[in-house]
Amino acid sequence: MTGDDPRYGAEVRRRMATLAGAGDLPPGPGVVTARAGDREQGAEILLTGRVESRRLADLRFRAYGCPHFLAAASWLTGQLRGADRAALEGWDWRAAADALEVPPAKFGRLLTLQDAVRGLARNWPGAGESTV
Amino acid sequence: MEDVVYLDNAATTAVDPRVAEAMLECLGAHGDYANPSATSHAPGRRARARVEQARAEVAGVVGARPEQIVWTSGATEADNLALLGAARYHRPRGRHVVTSRTEHPAVLDACRQLEREGFEVTYLKPAEDGLVEAPQVEAALRPDTILVSLMHVNNEIGVVQDVGAVGRLCRDRAVLFHVDAAQGAGKLPLDVERDCIDLLALTAHKLHGPKGVGALCVRREPRLGLVPLLHGGGQERGLRSGTLATHQVVGMGAAFRIAAASMAEESARIAGLRDRLWEGLRRLPGTLLNGHPMRRAPGILSISFDDVDGESLLYELRGFAVSSGSACATTNAEPSYVLRALGRSDRLAQGSLRLSLGRYSTVGDVDAAVAAVGAAIARLRAVAPPRSPA
Repeated sequence: MTGDDPRYGAEVRRRMATLAGAGDLPPGPGVVTARAGDREQGAEILLTGRVESRRLADLRFRAYGCPHFLAAASWLTGQLRGADRAALEGWDWRAAADALEVPPAKFGRLLTLQDAVRGLARNWPGAGESTV
Repeated sequence: MEDVVYLDNAATTAVDPRVAEAMLECLGAHGDYANPSATSHAPGRRARARVEQARAEVAGVVGARPEQIVWTSGATEADNLALLGAARYHRPRGRHVVTSRTEHPAVLDACRQLEREGFEVTYLKPAEDGLVEAPQVEAALRPDTILVSLMHVNNEIGVVQDVGAVGRLCRDRAVLFHVDAAQGAGKLPLDVERDCIDLLALTAHKLHGPKGVGALCVRREPRLGLVPLLHGGGQERGLRSGTLATHQVVGMGAAFRIAAASMAEESARIAGLRDRLWEGLRRLPGTLLNGHPMRRAPGILSISFDDVDGESLLYELRGFAVSSGSACATTNAEPSYVLRALGRSDRLAQGSLRLSLGRYSTVGDVDAAVAAVGAAIARLRAVAPPRSPA
């Protein structure tokens, strides 16, 4: 019906249709959370992941923001499954910008996403311990 | 058109088939297409007669005489002619203009032009209900005030200003009074004599007429001086040069005639739809009505939803043609200045929705919108993170 809206690419429309990955994980061993952004600024996200064998076994999101931001959060949950802590520390928002054809005016919102991903790395179980 | 429920009648309306038919009569080789200024021949005189009939039809809706109507390309031009034309002409009397912060950009941008030309403009802040009352205007008047401009119906929130009270105040103080009536004329009673309105901006396309035509109703007795914006053939008594678009003018006349004939009945029906819409939506948690609850135009409903991003809400409602105060949904980079002027936060302004009803809106449209908005808000709130502890 409005699939021709040029503001939203195919991946955004696909993600918005289901918002796959939305929700929470029950608290428990290996469950880690990170929050970033501010509703007043137009974008806020809460990520909840479950770490098993030093990798993200599951990741869920809750988000407030525009369709690009919600779709990027949904996309992220699929991309980061299986990632280790080092991958989260090095994750860069540009990957989401490319995958979802996010317009430059909204790049700032993706930085919120990056903050949350790196927050997960900081809160990683045993993050204070040496990984060497 | 694609299968979209159209609830954006404050932006523009579908042309009534009766209007389109009248316009077509002025377009073809056998129609009244001649230049209405070419009265030396019969086709020109026929076109002129149609233009004058339309002039009378528009004038009649606002209590004016036909000779008070000056055709323009729309309300934006009419507003510009009123503000720039009147201020420039009356500059020797003073350089102060009063308006409100919630006027249409056609007025606000014209005021900014006046400021560049050395005028001083006072922008009144409306109350939280969107109204600007006469005492507030009175307090802003100065000995050098030459013009007050106040819209009849606000295009975003639909509140109706008491232009009669402000008009009488201005008349008593010998200050010119301009009203942008783009949203209200033909839908609510308006009378330039009773309401002491010196300049009234009108448009056709908000009233199921064509885009590209409007009018400025100008007080004639005593004559009100205006400096024209356009120079050329001296049409419209020298106030608006350019060949008249007969078919557009005829369309506007027909739109106003039809609206006048059905104003009471149609306004009541549309107000009933608006109330049904509000009754359905107000049950949603965190829903706020923007603007005065009673002094409202029949067809406009503006609502803010707490904890909902406006762009995502519009995305979810893509089966509906509606407007939002969301920055990303418009060409404007800022949240709605009208809602901000009413004291709404940026977040509430962005999470706002304007649904506007018209002649072809139905109960089915309204009920579908209520269901869709409810579902969209529930979905977006369900996915939002819980509020952080303060």
